[in-house]
Amino acid sequence: MNIKTAYSMKTDLHEVVADIKAQLDDFDIKLIVFFASSAFHPAEIAERMEAAFPAVETFGCSTAGEIVTGKMLTKSVVAMAFNSQAIKNCKVDVLEDLNKESFRAFNAFERHFGKTMKEMDPKQYVGIMLVDGLSGKEEMIMDRMGDLTNVIFIGGSAGDDLKFASTYVYANGKSYANAAVLAILEPGVEFSFVKTQSFCELPQKLVVTKANEFKREVLEFNNKPAAVAYAEAVGTSVADAPNHFMHHPVGLVFEGEPFVRSPQQIKGDKMLFYCSVKEGMELSLLESTDIIASTKKALEDARKEPGGISGIVNFNCILRTLELGQKKLAEDYGKLFEAEPTVGFSTYGEQFIGHANQTAAMLILR
Amino acid sequence: MAGKIKQMIDTIISQRAKDNAMLAGIIKTKLMLKGIDPNKFTPQSADDLAIISKLEALMKEL
Repeated sequence: MNIKTAYSMKTDLHEVVADIKAQLDDFDIKLIVFFASSAFHPAEIAERMEAAFPAVETFGCSTAGEIVTGKMLTKSVVAMAFNSQAIKNCKVDVLEDLNKESFRAFNAFERHFGKTMKEMDPKQYVGIMLVDGLSGKEEMIMDRMGDLTNVIFIGGSAGDDLKFASTYVYANGKSYANAAVLAILEPGVEFSFVKTQSFCELPQKLVVTKANEFKREVLEFNNKPAAVAYAEAVGTSVADAPNHFMHHPVGLVFEGEPFVRSPQQIKGDKMLFYCSVKEGMELSLLESTDIIASTKKALEDARKEPGGISGIVNFNCILRTLELGQKKLAEDYGKLFEAEPTVGFSTYGEQFIGHANQTAAMLILR
Repeated sequence: MAGKIKQMIDTIISQRAKDNAMLAGIIKTKLMLKGIDPNKFTPQSADDLAIISKLEALMKEL
């Protein structure tokens, strides 16, 4: 076994870390990824996890709920430990202060691996990104990284249990706000990705004719006030439209694959989204389907690929978690992941090639 | 000159993907997320300065 998970439901942070350390005690660890409820003090959890595993790279973030093998949890800390057969090499760095566009971290990766980001083979290296979920900077980072390297980055936006006050990423024994943790991993095993969003595409199209992409606002769809056009597409009134957001988001659909953009609220005639939308984009209205069935199918397809699955890191949108909770299906969703070591969290956004909403983006290690 | 966008898109894909079909798909997706649908442009497509500008910035990274 090259990958092991651990979790703790204890409430005292000292006991939580001791509990996780005890579960991983006989494991020869190279890297730990951990996700912690926002109930825990960010600076303390970061410091204590680093101190508990001093010879090991550790990184993680705060969450809106945690996922571990077979379970969806809250108020917990979950961790995945990789040995050196699972991860041959890794480097973790932090983009501090996302208001400044600086990818100094890439210099650190290039020094560590002895090759440029352009040279890195996307079949040999994979990137993980954990980012302040309230920064609104996910698109900028993913876009810029996508220009600079073919290495695929996957990840999630840190959460804070729906308080929307402050989220944190952890690395080097510290916690950071307005920051992103970037990790480049060189797995010793093959790896792949699952990106699943439980929606079908409807025929209604919404062309973004006016938008403020930096504020994630759409002012007009189809040359009409955005709220009016959306309500018309859904077949309801503007007043009722927010009740349809969760089940009828919109998507940028490319070759059958939707990148979901979830509406957040209506402000006058404008619509605010959880994801940036560019002028000129043609978006499709989406309709929700069965999260359990579609996730189950996505995992079954992944399991059929050669090599089996030795570990899953699941970045699962909080909106999916909320819907599962409303339908009392959270336990069923957790059970989809009982066959393989799994860790993950409920995110304020998901990253795979770009930024998306209402998606589960998963790194699959074979 | 019509068709410049298609030409630039094809150059970016061929230089970044180097015959790797999976990588070509990823690069096309990245273009789509930038607001440039690579499947919509033909050799006859009119030039759009805003799109050309975005593609020029990307080509500088090659």
